Amino acid sequence: MNDDKLLEIKDLTVSIKQEKEMMPVVNGIDITIPDHSIIGLVGESGCGKSMTAKSINHILPSFAKITSGSMLWHEPSGQVCDLVTLKEKDIRKRCGTDVAMIFQEPMTSLNPLMCIGDQIKEVLMIHKLEKSQDRAKARVIEMLDAVEIPDPAVRYRAYPHELSGGMRQRAMIAMAMIANPKLLIADEPTTALDVTTQAQILDLIKKMCETHSMSALIITHNMGIVSTLCDYVYVMYLGTIMEEALTDELFRNPMHPYTRGLLSSIPRMGDNPEFLETLPGNIPVNKEKFRGCRFCLRCSDDIKKCFFEEAPLHKVSDDHYVRCHVAAGKED
Amino acid sequence: MEKEIILSASHLKKSFRTGKKGLHIGKKGSHTGDNNLVHAVDDVSLEVIKGETLALVGESGCGKSTLARLLMRMINSDEGSIYFEGKEISHLSERKMRPYRKKMQMVFQDPASSLDPRMKIRDIIAEPLIAWNVYDSKAKRDDRILELLNLVDLREDCLDRYPHQFSGGQRQRIGIARAIALNPDLLICDESVSALDVCVQAQILNLLKSLKQQMGLTCLFISHDLAVVSFIADRVVVMKNGRICEMAPASQIYSNPGHEYTKYLLSSVPRIKEYD
Repeated sequence: MNDDKLLEIKDLTVSIKQEKEMMPVVNGIDITIPDHSIIGLVGESGCGKSMTAKSINHILPSFAKITSGSMLWHEPSGQVCDLVTLKEKDIRKRCGTDVAMIFQEPMTSLNPLMCIGDQIKEVLMIHKLEKSQDRAKARVIEMLDAVEIPDPAVRYRAYPHELSGGMRQRAMIAMAMIANPKLLIADEPTTALDVTTQAQILDLIKKMCETHSMSALIITHNMGIVSTLCDYVYVMYLGTIMEEALTDELFRNPMHPYTRGLLSSIPRMGDNPEFLETLPGNIPVNKEKFRGCRFCLRCSDDIKKCFFEEAPLHKVSDDHYVRCHVAAGKED
Repeated sequence: MEKEIILSASHLKKSFRTGKKGLHIGKKGSHTGDNNLVHAVDDVSLEVIKGETLALVGESGCGKSTLARLLMRMINSDEGSIYFEGKEISHLSERKMRPYRKKMQMVFQDPASSLDPRMKIRDIIAEPLIAWNVYDSKAKRDDRILELLNLVDLREDCLDRYPHQFSGGQRQRIGIARAIALNPDLLICDESVSALDVCVQAQILNLLKSLKQQMGLTCLFISHDLAVVSFIADRVVVMKNGRICEMAPASQIYSNPGHEYTKYLLSSVPRIKEYD
């Protein structure tokens, strides 16, 4: 882990409007992204992981709003800037150059009426990174080559529908990388892809992070991806970080019952239990505000305290924090 | 012990015609001769043994769903024959096919679109029972519905609700209840757990496995997820471009894969590192 911070998300709360009331879906979370590292954010659907990612670039849907918190962006010059307070105009300047994003379904995030080369070139022209069209085109072709699209000069003129899912995702990565961003946010980048393509795309993301000395925030529900790609992991449940640790530490010694439940419900190849150990019940519908621990309804070792008081983030070691009364008690 | 073959297929073929134009960039499927013809299923023979779970794995476009549809006679094959419990069913008329329909049921990938949004859960589960006139009185039918709900771990108060009031996992349970209502001999699960979250996926996998034990179900399980398949399958068929690459017991596929493509597939799965 690197000590130089790139982005510090502090106490971020995102709420959505529901029947005239603001309901928090991301609940005061803290995430630190250091330079040159790959951070994982895992959780089940609806836990708020995409909302967190979208709030960084201010692309939240219209019914959602950042209600509190700050996102401190550390410039290489040492300046610190809070992304939350930035105006639309200023955040647009940063989209692509500082923070770039790739999404789950490349077909819906690419423009079907433009050939992929021109779409990628747009990034350079809008940010005025290249004045000459020809030079920009040459850079795009170079980038297409870097993301391992075969025959880049020909593919420059291909439309999204002519490409396979994996090729489209490569084009998305090329678009994200063309302006040399410092942070790449990948929201479920390989969920829509086949397993062999997924392996190639994951390799590519890893390689890109190394060659461009870039950080990445990988949002996924797949623990296998976290294990192979990430340095540090945040586990999210119902809008709160339940546990965070170095990847190896988290898999070796999961402390939170939710993390343990997640890990034991994944079927693993070559290891065939009679039945999978799984968490009982479903994710509660986030209607009423929680007073106690969000997880206590599904937890096997809850104590009375869990129902009334939310656990603070307990420090297990320098690289491991857990939000659980029971786990914290065991340590003491 | 003599193995009883419940369903077998020999030299099945099915091809689809695609549009006249097309760039065929990165297109899957084998193109032989005629450029517009995609051989979705190309000379496939397999046997499903009674009581086993046979998994069909492969990447998207490899023809696994088409093969399942052929076996169920939801679509007709171009060539080859299908035998169900020893009798050929590949050329039966729709009417003669009907008794076999009862014996083969299907659970689909997307539980939201495979349940009628305007029907209550009670009616959804009752529909196959009514269509086959299994019970002569409504009371007996209601008893059976409750029994089915119990089997898939749903509560009784679900009966008068509509599909949209349930979560994805619960909807999949309803889909399973409907599929097993007629005590089918063969259950075909087409990517039935792919759309679910890990915890819910584990619950449904456990449910399928326990149903198999309780009812002696034979299951044809289609999936792209090799880890899921390793948990549930007794035998695995690996498909690529409409052909079978490898067919072997699950333990062998994972410990000692024979085909290069199987090895490639296995090496692509992002694994959780092993820790002591």
